[in-house]
Amino acid sequence: MTFPDPRNTFCGRTRREFLWQLGAGFGSLPLLDLLAADARRDGRGSSLVLPHGDPMAPKQPHFAPRAKAVIFLFMYGGPSQVDTFDYKPKLYPLDGKTIDIDTKGRGGSKRQGRVVGPKWNFKPYGQCGKHVSDLFPHLAHCVDDLAFVHSMYAESPLHGSAMLMMNSGRILTGAPCLGSWATYGLGTQNQNLPGFVVMLDKTGGPISGAKNWSSGFMPAVYQGTVLRPHGEPILDLDVQEGMSTAEQRRILDALREQNESHAAVRHDDTELAARIHSYELAYRMQSNAPEAIDLASESAATRTMYGLDDPRTQDFAQKCILARRLVERGVRFIQIYSGGNHNDHNWDAHGDLVLNHTLHAGATDKPIAGLLADLKQRGLLDSTIVVWGGEFGRQPTAEYEHGTGRDHDSAGFTMWLAGGGIRAGVSVGATDELGYRAVERPFHVRNLHATILRQLGFDANALSYSHAGLQQKLVGVAGADPIHELCS
Amino acid sequence: MRTLPLAVFAAVLAAFAAAAVRAQDRTATAATDWWAYRPLVRPVVPNVGVHPFVRTDLDRFVLHDLRAQGLEPSPPASRAALIRRLTFDLTGLPPTPEDVAAFVQDQRDAAYAELVDRLLASPQYGVKWGRHWLDLVRYAETNSFERDSVKPAVWRYRDWVVDAFNSDLPYGEFLTQQLAGDEIEGGPVSALVATGFYRLGLWDDEPTEPLQAVYDDFDSIADTAARSMLAMSMGCARCHDHKKDPIKAKDYYAFLSFFEGLAPYRPTSGGTGLSVEHFARRVPPDGALAAFEQQRAAFLSKRSDDTARIMSLAAEDYGRLDAVARVQRLRRERGSLVARYALDRSDSSKWLDEVAGQHGLVEGQVVPVEGHRGLGGRFDGDDCVVLPLLVHDSFTITLRLKTTHHGPGREDDQRWFTGTGLVDGEVSGIVRDFGLAWHDDGRVVAGTGDPETFVSGPSGYADGQWHHVAFTRDRGTGRIGLYCDGVLVDEAIGSTQKLDAPPRLVVGRMQPGGAGFRGDLDDVCFHSRALSAAEVFADAMTLPGGIVAAESASLAAAMSVAAGGRPPELATIEVLCARERGATPEPSFVRVRGDARTKGEAVEPAFPWVLGAAPPAIVPPKDGRSSGRRTALARWITAADNQLTWRVIANRLFQYHMGRGIVRSANDFGRLGDLPTHPLLLDWLACEVLERGQSLKAMHRLLVSSGTYMQACAPDDAKFRTDPLNDRLWRFDRRRLTAEEVRDSMLAVAGVINVELGGESVFPPLPPAVLATASRPDEAWGTATKEQAARRSLYVHVKRSLLEPLLSGFDMADTDSSCPVRYATVQPTQALMLLNGDFAHQTARQFAERLQRESSDVRARVERGLWLALQRPPVESDVERLCALAADLQRDFGKTEAEALQRVCLLLLNCNEFLYLD
Repeated sequence: MTFPDPRNTFCGRTRREFLWQLGAGFGSLPLLDLLAADARRDGRGSSLVLPHGDPMAPKQPHFAPRAKAVIFLFMYGGPSQVDTFDYKPKLYPLDGKTIDIDTKGRGGSKRQGRVVGPKWNFKPYGQCGKHVSDLFPHLAHCVDDLAFVHSMYAESPLHGSAMLMMNSGRILTGAPCLGSWATYGLGTQNQNLPGFVVMLDKTGGPISGAKNWSSGFMPAVYQGTVLRPHGEPILDLDVQEGMSTAEQRRILDALREQNESHAAVRHDDTELAARIHSYELAYRMQSNAPEAIDLASESAATRTMYGLDDPRTQDFAQKCILARRLVERGVRFIQIYSGGNHNDHNWDAHGDLVLNHTLHAGATDKPIAGLLADLKQRGLLDSTIVVWGGEFGRQPTAEYEHGTGRDHDSAGFTMWLAGGGIRAGVSVGATDELGYRAVERPFHVRNLHATILRQLGFDANALSYSHAGLQQKLVGVAGADPIHELCS
Repeated sequence: MRTLPLAVFAAVLAAFAAAAVRAQDRTATAATDWWAYRPLVRPVVPNVGVHPFVRTDLDRFVLHDLRAQGLEPSPPASRAALIRRLTFDLTGLPPTPEDVAAFVQDQRDAAYAELVDRLLASPQYGVKWGRHWLDLVRYAETNSFERDSVKPAVWRYRDWVVDAFNSDLPYGEFLTQQLAGDEIEGGPVSALVATGFYRLGLWDDEPTEPLQAVYDDFDSIADTAARSMLAMSMGCARCHDHKKDPIKAKDYYAFLSFFEGLAPYRPTSGGTGLSVEHFARRVPPDGALAAFEQQRAAFLSKRSDDTARIMSLAAEDYGRLDAVARVQRLRRERGSLVARYALDRSDSSKWLDEVAGQHGLVEGQVVPVEGHRGLGGRFDGDDCVVLPLLVHDSFTITLRLKTTHHGPGREDDQRWFTGTGLVDGEVSGIVRDFGLAWHDDGRVVAGTGDPETFVSGPSGYADGQWHHVAFTRDRGTGRIGLYCDGVLVDEAIGSTQKLDAPPRLVVGRMQPGGAGFRGDLDDVCFHSRALSAAEVFADAMTLPGGIVAAESASLAAAMSVAAGGRPPELATIEVLCARERGATPEPSFVRVRGDARTKGEAVEPAFPWVLGAAPPAIVPPKDGRSSGRRTALARWITAADNQLTWRVIANRLFQYHMGRGIVRSANDFGRLGDLPTHPLLLDWLACEVLERGQSLKAMHRLLVSSGTYMQACAPDDAKFRTDPLNDRLWRFDRRRLTAEEVRDSMLAVAGVINVELGGESVFPPLPPAVLATASRPDEAWGTATKEQAARRSLYVHVKRSLLEPLLSGFDMADTDSSCPVRYATVQPTQALMLLNGDFAHQTARQFAERLQRESSDVRARVERGLWLALQRPPVESDVERLCALAADLQRDFGKTEAEALQRVCLLLLNCNEFLYLD
């Protein structure tokens, strides 16, 4: 039997070698360019094929990046666009009137609906004159730093699948999340902290839990690490009760001796060396992560700016300050959830819209404005993309016979981005005059993902990972262009 | 311009055509001429002469290849390394120090073979090797998505896999049962359990596009089957022809259509729960039927004795009554009788009512046949009799029935309206209705509506004998009762309203339509009150003098004994399994660009053309429940001349033993996959699988007895330079323990592991921080006893959205797609878990307690700890190091001796040597 096509290598390496490298080095290996071009040249279908090198070492993207980090403020549950940033003056006088409108939401498809007029007034702000609702008195003053996309749409009007779509680009589980792609593509700048961090709401995780920060078919190094702002920030980070750090150090020294004597007669196995090294990293993480979440050194002015001193905003403020501190320390991708659990614990305002959005906007408005201002004053906003939005928006009409609750709207909703080279003070796309459907320059969630990857230095249509016989991409087989109006 | 002569034109055309055909041939030949698609031919074993390395023919291939590269194999591994390697490899558990010491001592040639036999005979072998298969079929116990609900009884499939490995089910049979176990006529329940294979995937209970979601599930099934059994990657042909492999979209949909008859997961109407009747069945476990038949025979025989005795006592009683008493009794009986259809004088269009002339109208043909007494009526499934609404307050309905036919409905379904009507007053919706019906496994069920309340009898009444059935309802209390042959078999409290929703009653069919009763009925009676148990019994016995009896104490006693004897129940279990929607599936189509709603060309089930198999011969099974397509597929996949199946399993066996496949991309033998490093060896092994009766245990013996497997994994710089990737197998590749092995070894070394097999999964405690990531932290996970928490990792509940952190941290298989090879990452978070985690500390404490129990002083305990954790005789330098550590911790950190020992144990659980196998 002969093989005319001598491709019997993984780009010159085997699974085992790759796996050495996956664990090996932690920065000790030379930087190697990676990714799509390489994977294409490689042309392999095995799920094992990863580009080479330490998986978390800093890597060069396709082109010069504008942004080094991403802070994704996830408004879980779906904020209403017409009550927040998508100003629809024609909707007010229609309040309470039943009109013909084709909608699709949790409650299925409808042909008619009772309009719920926007419950807040809008006023123009900033040089750009952007209309923002009274829900966001602080954020409204930041509009000249923001870029609004009013014509977002997603493939599902249901939380479970829409969450997965916003996080991983697909409505089915099993695919890696945006944060996984970012760390896979770029590695991390600080091995002593995780590269992809998720902060959950105090009421609980979002539905589908860890699927929302899963690395799917990629190795676990690329999955999100849940970071808690109180107590033990990372699972098992704290030394067990009754053991001091000094005692632990003594044990670690003995462990290293034990491991080194084991490795001495196995000198060609870099995986063993990598594992010895991983204990030193873990040890350093024990001091670095608490330092990263320790706000003691934050000034009173900073605390006030984020709203850390107000019980209403304290929780989200703390996470926003943490996000900034993590960016400063080289963390690549940070996701903060506003809202968790079910029902009115998040933005899912099916019942009383005013109660719900007052609560969640009230808890986040000042912290987000503080975050933007703080990033800006520290010169970090230029290299950090801040993204705001939910898995979808809400319909202009009521869900039920009575009340102000709105059903889900994946046909048109608003997200905004700031920093990281995103063009500021612009608004792109539009929904129809009632705010239901994206009609002008509609953008799929994939376009948003492509935009973020673009700012990080990647062509989303070329950033790929070989799995199950396909060059898998965040933007799928269909591919997607970035939102050019946003990219500078 | 001059025109070309026609002949020249024709010749040119012919030449073009011939060239085109040749080009097409070339393409076809190139497509099929791929190593994995060529017929399997047994290669000649290379002659390598005598060499101590050569223990099996396998080694001759390896040695021949090594020599061609100027390499030599490594020396054999030490006996301690070998037993450790082998024990983990075959059972996923560490050997005990005693096992190691005995094996090191026993230098006999046979010692190794005996060890292999002992490990293969251990039930823990199935726990280890079953997991390999579960990786391939993306085994998980929940559906993912928002609610991530539990798949009912999915663990039976896991147990089936473990049992299949332990009982060494021939590989072809192993695949066949999973693909089509439900279509095996008279097959064991275990084969039905095996078809749980189809129910392991994701299911969104709230899909955006329901049809697309159904096809996503079919796709996942087809893709998993193709990858796991054939190492074919077909998934991308869902949207377009495969770019590299000769798999066209049409091939894909023709392959998919083998599965399209399956009833997909479906939510309950109007809800988000799983509608179980589409994917599960309730069946007697193997052996239960025979036991049941025995119990039933005993019951019937005793009952026949009782009956004879009661009849004679009743006749005596009746004989003693005077005429007045006899008339009173008759009057009482008649007093509540509303209608009686004895069927002895009915004609073809009417059922005559002897009581008040409320005759029934016959629709179809109810044929007069020999009845229980006199004539009865035979129903053929499309007949019924329409009666007025004779009763609606308190009532009793009695009848006699005889049939050998089973009804519809799911086996344990209690809802009368899913059966065939006996006497039915159903009106759809939750309304004041009632009915009495015949169900799947030969059971009578009945109930009243608003609120829905059901009673159901035992199964086994489709036995061709006459049976008496009574359904009573007392409006005052809402109590309903069901009697079979005079014995109360079920009762419940339901509505106390007037049950006047049905305008009429129907005998022999459900009111809204649906399947009709097939069998004989006789003596259908309606009473306007709930008869007492004694009255029902008397009626069932047809005691002389009517339904009231038992004047004498002796008769009353005999009756109460007989009435108390409940017929045996047939035990059943719920099985997650394949269910099709009938013998003839809907036509299949190409779905253009993968969009389920866009139908393209029609397709028939077919095997991928590139493998050149004959078209499938599809014969639907006799029971009419399914199409037989999957049986045809299984037959092709498991045929001895299938080019892929045997190569694929041979490669996997090689991979799991040697650390990597001969083809490293074990799920993809196509052009995007890797080429075999030892193609002839792969074909030889594939032939051996067939040669050895498809016995995987025989293959394990072959592989682990090879010199290749028994090599050391020590470094050798010269060989490393020649072949750094060990492509040529010049040594054994070191490996890290799998996630399950890490957790199981910790438990084993600590002496607390619970190696019990099978059953529902367990919920070892999760850190609160992990629970907090769920959207409903309080409901996300269960609890476990200490014993359950110490069970092997295979039995830890696999919840797609909430994974056990130690297992997921050490690279357990992805739960959402077929996982052919585990990653082995090295991450600081793993170090944190083993260094600081509750589980690590708890296990270290138990480990230390064990050492304190088993040894008497610090040094002896440290030695024993090293023995247990590293599974080799301790060396002095290690003992000294750990004794010094224990002393330091006591001196410098004020630890007690016991605490210091716990720290030593924690260190041992963190050692590279503990986690890596030479």
